[in-house]
Amino acid sequence: MVRKSSLFVTLALLVVLAFSAVAGADNNTLVIGSGAEAVGLDPRLETDVPSFERINLINQALVQFATNMELEPALATEWSVSDDTMTLWFKLREGVKWHDGVPFTAEDVKYTYEWVLNPENGALNMGLYADIDEIEIVNDHEIIFRLKQPNAFLMNNIARMPITPKHDGDRVDFRQSPIGTGPYKFVSWTRDDRLVLVENEEYWGGRPNIPNVIFRAIPENSTRLLAFEAGEIDIYQGGMVAQEIGRLEADPKYVVQRTPGTGYTYLGFNTKVGPLADVRVRQAVSYLIHREGIVRNVLNGIGTPGIGPVSMSLPWFNNDVVRYDYNPEKAKELLREAGYEPGQINLRLFTNENPDRMRIAEILQYECMQAGINVEVIIEEWGAYLARVQETDDFDIFILGWSGQLDPDRAMIRQFHTNGSNNYGKYSNERVDYLLDLGRTVPQESQESIDIYREAQEIVVREVPYGFINYTEEVGLHHPYIGNWEVHPYGAAAWQDAHLMTKNK
Amino acid sequence: MFRYIVRRLIQMIPLLIGVSIIVFLLGHLAPGDPVRMLLGEEATQEDVERLHAVYGFDQPLPVQYFRWFSRAIRGDLGVSIRQTIPVSTLIFERLGATVELAVVSVFIAVLLGIPLGLFASTRRGSIWDYLTMIVSLLGVSMPGFWLGLVLLSYVALHVNWLPMFGRDVSIMTGLVTLFTKFRADDLINAFRFLLLPALALGTSMMAIIARLTRSSMLEVLSKDYIRTAQAKGLKKGVVVVKHALRNALMPVITMVGIQFGAMLGGAVVTETVFAWPGVGRLVINAITQRDFPLVQGGVLMMALIFTVVNLLVDVCYALVNPRIRYE
Repeated sequence: MVRKSSLFVTLALLVVLAFSAVAGADNNTLVIGSGAEAVGLDPRLETDVPSFERINLINQALVQFATNMELEPALATEWSVSDDTMTLWFKLREGVKWHDGVPFTAEDVKYTYEWVLNPENGALNMGLYADIDEIEIVNDHEIIFRLKQPNAFLMNNIARMPITPKHDGDRVDFRQSPIGTGPYKFVSWTRDDRLVLVENEEYWGGRPNIPNVIFRAIPENSTRLLAFEAGEIDIYQGGMVAQEIGRLEADPKYVVQRTPGTGYTYLGFNTKVGPLADVRVRQAVSYLIHREGIVRNVLNGIGTPGIGPVSMSLPWFNNDVVRYDYNPEKAKELLREAGYEPGQINLRLFTNENPDRMRIAEILQYECMQAGINVEVIIEEWGAYLARVQETDDFDIFILGWSGQLDPDRAMIRQFHTNGSNNYGKYSNERVDYLLDLGRTVPQESQESIDIYREAQEIVVREVPYGFINYTEEVGLHHPYIGNWEVHPYGAAAWQDAHLMTKNK
Repeated sequence: MFRYIVRRLIQMIPLLIGVSIIVFLLGHLAPGDPVRMLLGEEATQEDVERLHAVYGFDQPLPVQYFRWFSRAIRGDLGVSIRQTIPVSTLIFERLGATVELAVVSVFIAVLLGIPLGLFASTRRGSIWDYLTMIVSLLGVSMPGFWLGLVLLSYVALHVNWLPMFGRDVSIMTGLVTLFTKFRADDLINAFRFLLLPALALGTSMMAIIARLTRSSMLEVLSKDYIRTAQAKGLKKGVVVVKHALRNALMPVITMVGIQFGAMLGGAVVTETVFAWPGVGRLVINAITQRDFPLVQGGVLMMALIFTVVNLLVDVCYALVNPRIRYE
């Protein structure tokens, strides 16, 4: 009898507890729903955006990109680049402490870069810093980088490398539990589930307004959106459900922020083998890309029609290049000029299983067929696809995208220089090579730099090694009770100023 | 029986070696390079060659395999290329979530499926029979991801106490707090987060069990010994449960075993929809990233679990049907 009644009490207790509501996080905790889990949290080793979204709350670079894409002080308060772009000088912020209380000094900066440049450590981004020859510590808060060869844009790469502590950076599990100088401190990480951070009360930029931040990894976009609508997450981060954007923008319960991104999607052409070796055929295909239609119907308006390799928001952007507005008549004329009868050209177009890219491929296939070009669309698994594009010339056209194109050097030299590491279509133009080499030797703020890259864009767009499809757009989605947050054009930098954010639910 | 189990365990060794060779070859012969996947679209040739040497991918395939194999038999499954964490750590930290989800799903499926099948079989041809079979047909036909999203949009979004995603504490932790601190909140939390994913995962299995139980029961109920039992004047319930069901359960147990073994390999779709941190997502991500050590280790673990579960199922036969003897 006693046993029975205690069982009953337990059951009653269970029922009461079960019906107590799920308490959403209170005003002291910011919950960010992220589309992908971080690979790791060591800025020297990671290359993916989801990792850097999180790292940038914990660790900081010498300089960072503001939302207008200009460099602003972070761990360095002042800096200068010599006229020959061979020497970089930094004045470091004083009074900054690591999360364990040890002071931050120039030794940490030197340590971080030397670690990255040591091939034994297997830093994936080593190539971005390969031009650094030596690092000289002037005093605890002053440091000089000397380069092997001019590189005016190295500053932008420096903005992508948060500094790690010399006294702790060699710890075996640093990648799983880092310490930094940023506004939030690492607490715990359950992979594929949650990363928990707590405020750095002594943060040099001011104590954070929201004491706790939790990143939740929710891979399925629909689930993440439902969790956002149910109020279980405060901010929706990562791939947007494009069909839903109209509804969300119209709903006063949510705030949708949009800003031009730093990437673009393109058709890559094989400029050495097959009919596309003729520039007129490439131009014809570019005239057949219905950019407005693709942005409107495939991307649901998220993005803008492509023009060239440099983002429209950067000062180097050249607006006076040839425009390939959709024009089938012009395309047919170019094909006739090149000596092709309708039906004579057969092309193989490759893409991976990305749904947007597959639809773009189908649309292009149809448009090309109308103009007398037969296109076979072949869809491959990502790994196999990347291997084909990067390691062979066994393709006519492929669809890929670039992200994080923060300056014209990054957007062009690897892609269009004859020796470029990502020049998969084997494009080659002496003048372009000359301009892209020259651009690195000129300070990036100068008019000369702008002139150099505008000319390079003009040639590249005219000769069509790429058919530019669309520029990307960054979308931020949050509840109206979140304040002081702006969606960043460069996704990885989204949370670098999280200490300013507010939550009043 | 003991000798039988030992023999089965020994037979597993060549099986697992075979699996590991197949996985190794499939991984390495498929196009796609782990280093390029790691470096992404911005890879330079120098970086690729440098990292090939770091990870030993510049060695001939047999050399790579035997290096891996000689470490694996000592229990060292290597380190994930992408995350630089031991493969065994990555698998074990997610295994709990996967086992929990699989056990609860099977529990739901068996607890609902067998009574449903029994109910339908004893009312053969009636409206109840057809209704049960239509429901189970629906259950078999609904894809897991769809059912998962439906449960989220129409149940979780409106029922305040059901969470939308993720996992809180494990059932084990919940039981520990219940018995040590006499608090049930952890255990309830564990079940709150488990309920929808387990329903989404268990529904199709439940439907299959219901259909299988029904057809198997119908076959047994037409047997002579059932008629004898009935003729002896035994109660209907005793005949159905004690005489018929025990014999009808054999194919059901086989099916449950196979499905359970497969679930322990991770339910990728359910795990993705509900952001459940299980091994399925881990291994699928490893495959798309060509993280060879993790793929090899993960598949080897799955094969091991699957064969062990199969063995347990065979042992269960003997418990359910004492006539079965293993020599």
